[in-house]
Amino acid sequence: METFRLEILTPNGEIYNGSALSVVLPGEEGEFGVLAHHSSLTTLLTSGVVDVEKEDRCVESIVINWGVVQVDEKKVIILVEGAAPIRGENEAEIAKALEDAKMFIKDIADSSSAIASVSAKIESAAQKLI
Amino acid sequence: MANLKDIQRQIKSVSNTQKTTRAMKLVSTAKLRRAEELASRSRLYAQKMNQVIAEIAGRIECAKVGGIDNRCFHKIESPKMVDIVFVTADKGLCGGFNIQTIKAVSKLIKEYKAQNVKVRLRGIGKKGVEFFKYNEVELFDAVIDLSSKPEKTRSDSFIRTSILDFKDGKIDALHIIYNGYKNMLTQELHINNILPIDTTKFECSEETDRSMLEIEAQNEENMLDSLVNKYVDYNLYYALIDSVAAEHSARMQAMDTATNNAKEMVKSLNVEFNKARQAAITTELIEIISGVESMK
Repeated sequence: METFRLEILTPNGEIYNGSALSVVLPGEEGEFGVLAHHSSLTTLLTSGVVDVEKEDRCVESIVINWGVVQVDEKKVIILVEGAAPIRGENEAEIAKALEDAKMFIKDIADSSSAIASVSAKIESAAQKLI
Repeated sequence: MANLKDIQRQIKSVSNTQKTTRAMKLVSTAKLRRAEELASRSRLYAQKMNQVIAEIAGRIECAKVGGIDNRCFHKIESPKMVDIVFVTADKGLCGGFNIQTIKAVSKLIKEYKAQNVKVRLRGIGKKGVEFFKYNEVELFDAVIDLSSKPEKTRSDSFIRTSILDFKDGKIDALHIIYNGYKNMLTQELHINNILPIDTTKFECSEETDRSMLEIEAQNEENMLDSLVNKYVDYNLYYALIDSVAAEHSARMQAMDTATNNAKEMVKSLNVEFNKARQAAITTELIEIISGVESMK
């Protein structure tokens, strides 16, 4: 499978910069996936989870609040206002990242169903990591 | 020759000043490190945000995407009223940091006045605001203590008025002027034309014409609208944090120069003191010798 360049930026710095196989994004109109050679597109993202499939086929999940994505044939740039990546070297770190992400989503989401769906997603993402 | 006591007093006073300036330099160095880190982390985001916006604006312009009548993306011929937002520091003692921004603002105002364009001046930072008040230049509104402690929510609500007025057609352009951080030794003056979005940076090519701008059709206007809001909000916030970093670097430098000058002054005062002391001793000796001579 071909890879493409992915950059995820927040005002506090870069949280992802590298190649990826695919990325699933929480668009305003619903979730959508992006693979290499996707036609160019610019759209807004809402609060939710960004799933990045890396070159080694590992999936990394990042919770975001608001964002804009710019897709063109060669690269994908995602600008987000706030993000909480779920990653870590060991179980304790992952558990902490999960807690942080949950706190983060509580602050940003306005409906309880949105919180529940995002929480479920990040729980399963963390399970896979452990 | 000055009195010995006077010189001593002067030396003491100068070396006290030197202590103060050195302390201020150290404080600025510590603050600069923090501010610079914050600014450098945000720099990339600000650059990409501007890039994305410029590209969208450029594509709207080049590919002539129809149906987008958002005012922010179109050039405005013969503006009637413009907003100038400037950012200066709240405190002085930082060399030419504030005056550079003030000069640039005054120059821009003059240019607009020559073209018969009305200017609405909005100030952030005590020094700039005081300057324009003293010179009886009308300020539309002013905020103090935001430039020393940048806060996203406060800067957002400040700039909101300009965004809304631009969209309503009350103003035709928005400029942000501030002195930004370049490196430890230099600051760089930025005059940013925020609205309408500058499309000149984006070069039209066949490739861009072909790869059409695709925005989700249903809420195209909404999307561009909220993107523009975020773009303007973030530009001001970035200007604030960049300006804080620049302020500290300017102060650090100014205080360093002041410390060095004080050092030089103490040195020359010491020489003067020694000369005066020697002169006093010589006079005393002459007096004794001439006294002894007269006794003979």
